[in-house]
Amino acid sequence: MSKIQHDRTHHAKMATGIGDPQCFKGKAGKAKFKEGDRVRIKDLPDIFYSRTMTYTRGAVGTVTKLVYESPAAEDEAWDNTDKPEWFYSVVFRQKELWPEYPDLYAKDTLETEFPERYLESA
Amino acid sequence: MSDHDHKPAPMVDEVSDFEILEMAVRELAIEKGLFSAEDHRVWTEYVHTLGPLPAARMVAKAWLDPEYKKLCASDGVEASKAVGVNWVTSPPTQFGTPSDYCNLRILVDTPTVKHVVVCTLCSCYPRPILGQSPEWYRTPNYRRRLVRWPRQVLAEFGLQLSPDVEIRVGDSNQKTRYFVMPVRPEGTEGWTEDQLTEIVTRDCLIGVAVPKPGITSNAKRAVHPAVHPVHHDHDHGH
Repeated sequence: MSKIQHDRTHHAKMATGIGDPQCFKGKAGKAKFKEGDRVRIKDLPDIFYSRTMTYTRGAVGTVTKLVYESPAAEDEAWDNTDKPEWFYSVVFRQKELWPEYPDLYAKDTLETEFPERYLESA
Repeated sequence: MSDHDHKPAPMVDEVSDFEILEMAVRELAIEKGLFSAEDHRVWTEYVHTLGPLPAARMVAKAWLDPEYKKLCASDGVEASKAVGVNWVTSPPTQFGTPSDYCNLRILVDTPTVKHVVVCTLCSCYPRPILGQSPEWYRTPNYRRRLVRWPRQVLAEFGLQLSPDVEIRVGDSNQKTRYFVMPVRPEGTEGWTEDQLTEIVTRDCLIGVAVPKPGITSNAKRAVHPAVHPVHHDHDHGH
């Protein structure tokens, strides 16, 4: 009976001396969004695992930075690293994330990251 | 039993279930060839070199050198090299650590923006430049509450800020790791880099405290006494 060969050293081979996420640089193609864009977080179905927090789903924020290229964690966790995406840092007004956030602190914000698949234009 | 006197004294009074589990998993991994005992020793020794001093020194350098501050703001990985930390090659893997990656971003406070860091999903932390995270940082108490009630949680740390200050919570949910560069406090004019480094505590670098002249350690955390404290069985009959 043949065994499926899993190369445990694949990541080490491609990232040694280079770093992660540096090893995925240039592999995601053209970024769909740019700094300053208003984006909405899509509530994609999670199959077992996601790093896009529930509290961000449906929220609208502003892209502050294109941070790096990498496979989405939702793929990387299962060792599917063939399709790196652009990752974005997005800032939200706290008042738009939480219904009870006080008007007194209307300036407060929260910043966090998303792979491109979770973003749509707002 | 008479042979009790001939046994060497144990180094620890009790070992936790987690430590037993770690030993079992480690021994099994070594037996199966996932890594060697030598690999584990090298990794453990690397982890023991880590602490908050490099990050504190980066802040002190940035306070004294506007060009270095700009580098810190734009490229945290490059800026880390100035304090001897290479995010890629300092770890024994030569590709960064598996959970900390190689994308440090330094969040620069201003008089009108105060940053504070959390990882709601687990407790990601910039270990290569800041060492191991404190226990409270990993609790659901901190992780769930900071993102939604930052003013209340910071007040519990003794930090209360004017409504004119924007509090920006950084949730490190992906490969970026953050630390906070606080605003240089009053009363530090003419200070050396060493003097400035001393007042940038780990809690300042997470963002739950601000640096103050004369304060060189993290505030004591109140510990609630155990309702059912553990009693050591070996005390009986001796």
